[in-house]
Amino acid sequence: MGTPPYRIWEVIERSETGEFMEEKDFIHKRLLVEIRRAVQKYKIKYDPQSPVNADDGLADAVWNAAVETFLAIGIYNKSTHRVMAFTRDEVNEALLGLPGSYLFGAGKDARPFTARKVEDKNPPFMLYSPDITYDERDHFKACVAFLKEPLLDGICAPILENFFGHKISSHSPTELGGSLMHAMNLKEAARLVGRPGIHCVAVGTAEADSSQIHVSSQDYGIRTTDSRLVASITEFMTDREMLNKAVHYQQFGCYSGNLAGAIYGGYAGGAEGTAVLQTMYHLMGTLLYSSHYEQNFPFHLKYGSNTGREMLWIVSVYSQAIARNTKMPQTSNGFANAGPGTMMLYYETAAHALASTVSGANLWEMAPTRNKYHNRGTPLEARLAAEVGYGASLSGMTRIEANKIVKTLLEKYERDIPEAPIGKTFQEMYDVDKAVPRPEAAEQYREAVKELKKMGVPFPY
Amino acid sequence: MSEKELLVQAMKDGDLDTSLRLAHRVVGEKTPALEVVGALIQGIREIGEAFERFDIFLPEMMLASNAMIEILKVFEPKLKAESPEAQTISGKIIMATVKGDMHEIGKNIVITLLKANRFDVVDLGADVDSLEVIKAAEREQAQLIGLSALMTTTMLGQKEVVDILNDMKIREKYKIIVGGAPTTQEWAARIGADGWAKDASSAVALAEELIQRKGVA
Repeated sequence: MGTPPYRIWEVIERSETGEFMEEKDFIHKRLLVEIRRAVQKYKIKYDPQSPVNADDGLADAVWNAAVETFLAIGIYNKSTHRVMAFTRDEVNEALLGLPGSYLFGAGKDARPFTARKVEDKNPPFMLYSPDITYDERDHFKACVAFLKEPLLDGICAPILENFFGHKISSHSPTELGGSLMHAMNLKEAARLVGRPGIHCVAVGTAEADSSQIHVSSQDYGIRTTDSRLVASITEFMTDREMLNKAVHYQQFGCYSGNLAGAIYGGYAGGAEGTAVLQTMYHLMGTLLYSSHYEQNFPFHLKYGSNTGREMLWIVSVYSQAIARNTKMPQTSNGFANAGPGTMMLYYETAAHALASTVSGANLWEMAPTRNKYHNRGTPLEARLAAEVGYGASLSGMTRIEANKIVKTLLEKYERDIPEAPIGKTFQEMYDVDKAVPRPEAAEQYREAVKELKKMGVPFPY
Repeated sequence: MSEKELLVQAMKDGDLDTSLRLAHRVVGEKTPALEVVGALIQGIREIGEAFERFDIFLPEMMLASNAMIEILKVFEPKLKAESPEAQTISGKIIMATVKGDMHEIGKNIVITLLKANRFDVVDLGADVDSLEVIKAAEREQAQLIGLSALMTTTMLGQKEVVDILNDMKIREKYKIIVGGAPTTQEWAARIGADGWAKDASSAVALAEELIQRKGVA
């Protein structure tokens, strides 16, 4: 079941008829002011002792602050310099239309993707994604390595940096070519591992609207049983290219997610404002793009990660705000500081997966090394997140229990965040030909699981 | 606290009304404008450092920087009258996010701090064509070009600006700083930029160093 597009043409018309405003005024006089006002009005306060929030009242306060701020500021369209405003009735109507569950993928590989609840005992949908670029020659095998993972429900594949030896340049023929290569690698890999209908979120190589449109094909590209992402511009802005993508996804008939990362320390200020802003993005996705789900990756302005103490608090609070007040499925996208083959990456992954799972999110894991370093991502960290997600949900773990474990994990890594080790490459961790972990990497993974179990991290077996 | 110290504190607090009230009082006092501006510059550097430590966040830094810019307008005539030969700006800079890239927050943070440190900054915005960057630098007679990119697929825009400057045989007219999440010191060296800034504070320090080396300030 899909969500009907929400009054799509009436909404887009506001790009031309909305209030004229300069961008700097939208940021300085609206966004900054209204978020600060809402944080004060609803007495939202970051608690460093609760990286996993257990206060329902706080989650609901963040939700109310987000709705109020969304209605107060609207969404800025950079292409037309106009503000697209919405009413409370529209918010209520759009949220009422959310079905709460979709079937992602096709045939035997289809999986339910649902709006989980806080402390939900149903395991999260597991979207595996390294969110980094790989060498062109190893991209296909990297796709295979991810798709071999048994707990994978969907994949957002490794990204290409080169196409036929040329560095891919945004909005150019190399991006069109590279995007199609990405899609074809992914689909061929899925077929070869025996999961031809697995849900793909693709393609991350495509930045331009033209590149996304280029890969839509039931025959050789991204299908209607897959999903696509449409982003926003920092903060709370859109443009014609984003709207082109949103319209294409609706008319092509695939699922779509709103890719949103509120920046901690940026225009929203500290943890409190960032949690409100990330919650607001769910409304933007629903009302502006008619997105079927929200792909969340709030991140630290300085580090580009979201596994620090204040970031986990943000993740847990907005996830709960959404899970308690809407039927919108959400994914929580981890951005770790450390790289593959380090214990720090496993600690970070476990903490992010725990905080997200008990707060009602589905998992989208894991981007190592702040997704900055080429080739530095493997399926192992995503596997760990999946096992922790299953362990936490099936064992009925509460937020209070998760908070205790997350604090123990933070003690192991938070002081190392500024100078986190970048670890090893995919090629160093994996036998690329066979697309399996090298024996030493597999052994390290088993040791990591043993240590995490001793720390109280739940695993399904 | 002296009124000069109160002014610096009001600026650091981002209190524009108090800053302007105090600025108009202090500018009428005997204290040399250069001395007051020196204290203000020290104050805004401390704000920049506090932001880098995340003791404060972007909204607080923007408020302080805005106050600083408005205070400097009050002191500029006195500064020029006291020492006509002195530079009232640190240098002229063209800033842009490169072609194909819509990410602006990093660039905007750098601009905020540059302006507060008395640089004259022309902001070309995001998704700016390489040749437009160069034309703006020529038109504005800038000393330095700052180029931001947030994606691996747009980093090439930084290289393109350097390449075109070389092809036009005007590369030596400008210092070039690059920055943004996927960029590194090695990348800057590889494309022939003059420097790489990992954050806003280091961008300001690098701009000062490069422009001084160029013999402008």
